[in-house]
Amino acid sequence: MKITLNGADAQVDSPPLTPLLHVLREELGVLSAKAGCENGGCGACTVLIDGSPRRACLTAAIAADGSEVTTVEGLGTPEALSPVQKAFVHFCAAQCGFCTPGMVIAATAYLDKGGSGSREEITEALAGHVCRCTGYLKIVDAVAAAREGDFDMSVAAESPHTQVRA
Amino acid sequence: MAIQKGHGIASIEYPTGMNQNGDPSQAWIKVKPDGRIDVFSGTTDIGNGSKTIQSQIVADTIGVPYDWITFDNSNTDSSPVCTGTFASRATFVAGKAVLKAAQRVRERILEVAGQEMEISPDDLDLDDGDVFAKDAPTRRMSVGDVAAAATWTYGELITGTGAHLNPYVPIVDSSTGEVDSPPHAAISYAACAADVEVNDETGEVRVLRLIQAYDVGRAINPALLEGQIEGGAMMGLGLGVLEDSYPYYPSVDNRAGDFGSYYAPSSADLPEMVNVIIENPSVDGPYGAKGIGEMANNAQPAAIATAVHDAVGVWVTELPITPERVLAALDAKSGGSGPRREGKHVAYDEEISINAVGTGLAWRAD
Repeated sequence: MKITLNGADAQVDSPPLTPLLHVLREELGVLSAKAGCENGGCGACTVLIDGSPRRACLTAAIAADGSEVTTVEGLGTPEALSPVQKAFVHFCAAQCGFCTPGMVIAATAYLDKGGSGSREEITEALAGHVCRCTGYLKIVDAVAAAREGDFDMSVAAESPHTQVRA
Repeated sequence: MAIQKGHGIASIEYPTGMNQNGDPSQAWIKVKPDGRIDVFSGTTDIGNGSKTIQSQIVADTIGVPYDWITFDNSNTDSSPVCTGTFASRATFVAGKAVLKAAQRVRERILEVAGQEMEISPDDLDLDDGDVFAKDAPTRRMSVGDVAAAATWTYGELITGTGAHLNPYVPIVDSSTGEVDSPPHAAISYAACAADVEVNDETGEVRVLRLIQAYDVGRAINPALLEGQIEGGAMMGLGLGVLEDSYPYYPSVDNRAGDFGSYYAPSSADLPEMVNVIIENPSVDGPYGAKGIGEMANNAQPAAIATAVHDAVGVWVTELPITPERVLAALDAKSGGSGPRREGKHVAYDEEISINAVGTGLAWRAD
């Protein structure tokens, strides 16, 4: 089997029914897709297959044969982050980071498909992704801002939900 | 059927670190020959941001830029002891350990710089990576040059250790037998107000808004603090209305066995949130900080319970406040003439459910 992984050709030699998640992590050494529940419930393994978000834990390798597979490594680089990656940094939208790759992939797919950026749409688009640290608020703020584009990366975003009293 | 609205409030006080001793944190800091700083601390960052917070404390205390700090907690064998990331202690207790170690490193940097510059260390200051004479700020040398002099001229490694351990005080006074619990190192305070909607036919509770105020002592990293408050709020919402492996309808065989059937809150449950951060510095925390890690998910369930009472007039005294429990409480209040659906009495009986393993009989229909 052959896939295009983050723009480069990759040969896959695992048995055809191996979950794509295991192919990525164990055969191809791409560790950003996380093995959370491994039964489709948590969203941490989500990758783009031909541009659509898919659970890598539920996708057999053979089902991805000939496809373009994109993980967060393929969205941007540390020097040139994608708009969603930039927004996650700017809004401090990660804590332990385990759910973050899946969230970034889902948010990217949502925006690529022309999402309006409304709070209702974003919370629905991300509803299949469990995060236990951040409370989702900063993630939703980040995705809404990513659609708008530019922000000052030299400072952290100020949360519109917080007031500080001395 | 009607949607009933209600408001509730709850408050909490919570200690930082463990009362009594047995809860040490240690830190070791060394300065590389180019002036960059290596921090060794046993504190595990479980997503609470303790690496960032402790690096900030070290950078500010020594007087060097934040990005000069390397924080290493990678190895149990080589790290100093830290009892762990629990009891809301990583900022307060472990933060004090790195603060004390950083103070010693700063003192030693000033002493070596004093030798190089032929100025008394008391007359020197250190800020943003430069040592300078207090009354002649143009006389200065970088921490990198100080560290190089220590390494290549004096044959010395600039280093410092620090540790924090609350003192042991007996809880029971042996002469009188009275329980005399000493005060905790710092107490954090918070309050949460909840707005909810309750459907009085289905028993569903929807949390619309959480307004929360936290006395944190000092917000060393406001963005991480907000994350802790917001994340705690969602955990509290889960404890309040969602998270349980119960109910097992129609039988115990159907209990939650994986993430797909366990009701962890998702972004779809996200209520409107308002965070109020109150900085009321503690006397002995690092830069006045206290810990709020564990308390962040405590006030919401109680606030939600009072809001449910405000909405439909019943107290649900067990968490989570599931639709079944709301309906059972409404039914008990009405003396058995409570909610009905399609003509059937829909009050849910937990005893029947628990005893219904294998029979599928969970609903009391009459």
